[in-house]
Amino acid sequence: MTHNGGGMIARRDLTVRIAARTDLSPTCFRFILETAEEIAAVPGQFGMVTCGAGFDPLLRRALSIAGVARREGVTRVELMVKEVGRGTNLLRHATVGSTLRLLAPLGNGFTLAPVEGTCLGLVAGGIGLPPVLFAAERLAARNVAFDLYVGAASGGELLDVERCRAAAIAVGGDLVLTTDDGSAGEHGFVTAALQRRLDGGQRYGRLLACGPNPMLAALTRLARERALAAELSLEEPMACGVGVCLGCVVELEDGRYVASCKEGPVFSVDRLAARWWP
Amino acid sequence: MSIRLDTTVGALKLANPVLAASGTFGYGLDLLEFCPPESLGAIVTKGLSPRPRRGNPTPRIVETAAGMINAIGLQNVGVEAFCREALPELRARGAVVVVNVFGERMEEYLEVIGRCEGEDGLAGYELNVSCPNVTAGGMEFGHDPAPLERLTAMCRAATRRPLWVKLSPNAPDLVATARAALAGGADALTLINTMRAMAIDADARRPVLANGCGGLSGPAIKPIALRMVWEVHKALPGVPIVGIGGIETGRDVVEFLLAGASAVQIGTAIFRDPVAPLRIVAELESFCEEHEVAHVAELTGGLQWR
Repeated sequence: MTHNGGGMIARRDLTVRIAARTDLSPTCFRFILETAEEIAAVPGQFGMVTCGAGFDPLLRRALSIAGVARREGVTRVELMVKEVGRGTNLLRHATVGSTLRLLAPLGNGFTLAPVEGTCLGLVAGGIGLPPVLFAAERLAARNVAFDLYVGAASGGELLDVERCRAAAIAVGGDLVLTTDDGSAGEHGFVTAALQRRLDGGQRYGRLLACGPNPMLAALTRLARERALAAELSLEEPMACGVGVCLGCVVELEDGRYVASCKEGPVFSVDRLAARWWP
Repeated sequence: MSIRLDTTVGALKLANPVLAASGTFGYGLDLLEFCPPESLGAIVTKGLSPRPRRGNPTPRIVETAAGMINAIGLQNVGVEAFCREALPELRARGAVVVVNVFGERMEEYLEVIGRCEGEDGLAGYELNVSCPNVTAGGMEFGHDPAPLERLTAMCRAATRRPLWVKLSPNAPDLVATARAALAGGADALTLINTMRAMAIDADARRPVLANGCGGLSGPAIKPIALRMVWEVHKALPGVPIVGIGGIETGRDVVEFLLAGASAVQIGTAIFRDPVAPLRIVAELESFCEEHEVAHVAELTGGLQWR
């Protein structure tokens, strides 16, 4: 039974202004949303965003927060969005300067604490980048060491590479890029690149990852085989984002279904049901 | 002009006619900073069974045109956890709480009511006989007048509190099920529950939902819900009706009241906007001001036919 309102950061439903929109790839774009109100968020948390007036699409879209900063009385929230259907198409064509509603921050975040004697491994696949990049920049600001693995279908779909590189370099870490088609970086899946480095003796105190489910399943297998701590940010179809619809549940190892919008979206791999390491 | 928003559903007095619907408002305490439960006419809990239920496999929800289909499968914490963990705070806040009751067998409905009868501060029960997403119980009572009357009568004998029956729009004869619930001793009828529906993934050639089918809610079903409220009101004048189905605005509430409802429930709108029930109360008040309706209860059944 969940009582909210006592969480670490208060949820708010705010009208925000679309201050900028930039294409990041043929399918992905960046939104900068501005408000005079304060919004705090930690990497892994998400927001529910309206996409257009009217009843079609009916529901908000759950979007992972890629960054949040407050300067001179203005909060700027960064989102990265992949156009996958009607809702995200409407968002892509929303007028810069117009407003939408943002319910945020929601859910929990990655564990960013350093692990004594090792560095962290950050792994992103495709549009799973936003919470991982947010984590990388927060870690860099705290001088916590990490390597950053970023995979995409092709070179053109690798997002924000220079920012990824800058975050990794700031703590002396590596940026490892992979593409499924070999058009940039290492050829193959990002989890395969991670596995090669683990086989070569690289050690990580904790893996933090977000990406498509097959990638997260591969990473779960890898983490469990090698007894590595790992946290995954999961994406499930979600109606409300606030724990009442019970649509977005994730099955845990003990058989329970828990709402990923409240107990997640970040889950430690040792809590997840067996379907994550088939 | 000061508007009276209070209304009654049978013997139950409500401060306003806007309620939160079962399955869209948790156990009443999930959205405190957006919509405190005591600010609504009443809240209806997530369907409670005697023991916790795990619910259906995923995917459980899919968005459709102006609606969504769900097949949650009545995942809930069980009546014991509700009474122990949520009810004390709901009571302390002064919320009007209607318990939505679910069982796979008739005895299970009685178990839930029996546990709640030991608690103060519950306003009544709403029998869920219309969930399209569980294999046992639920809809099988809701579709057939004879078992529905028996179930309602058994529950009636177990409590003196207000007893509502939430009817299924999927029943072959809506008015017959309404009559059966009343014959069994129901004080009021809630209509409608979700409409059985499905979504298909053309690429995969499979149903989208793990359950195959589910229940459609949202603005897409509002015209059907209005027609059903009106039909039952016409067939059974004077029977209190709680209207539900795709309500998004104060104007929608007025439409349901005109069709014959005494109060309404807000469901899917809460998923879009956690403040929706409070906004809708304010919009309803504005409508009454603009149209010089002194007391919202005057609207009930006020439809002018031609």
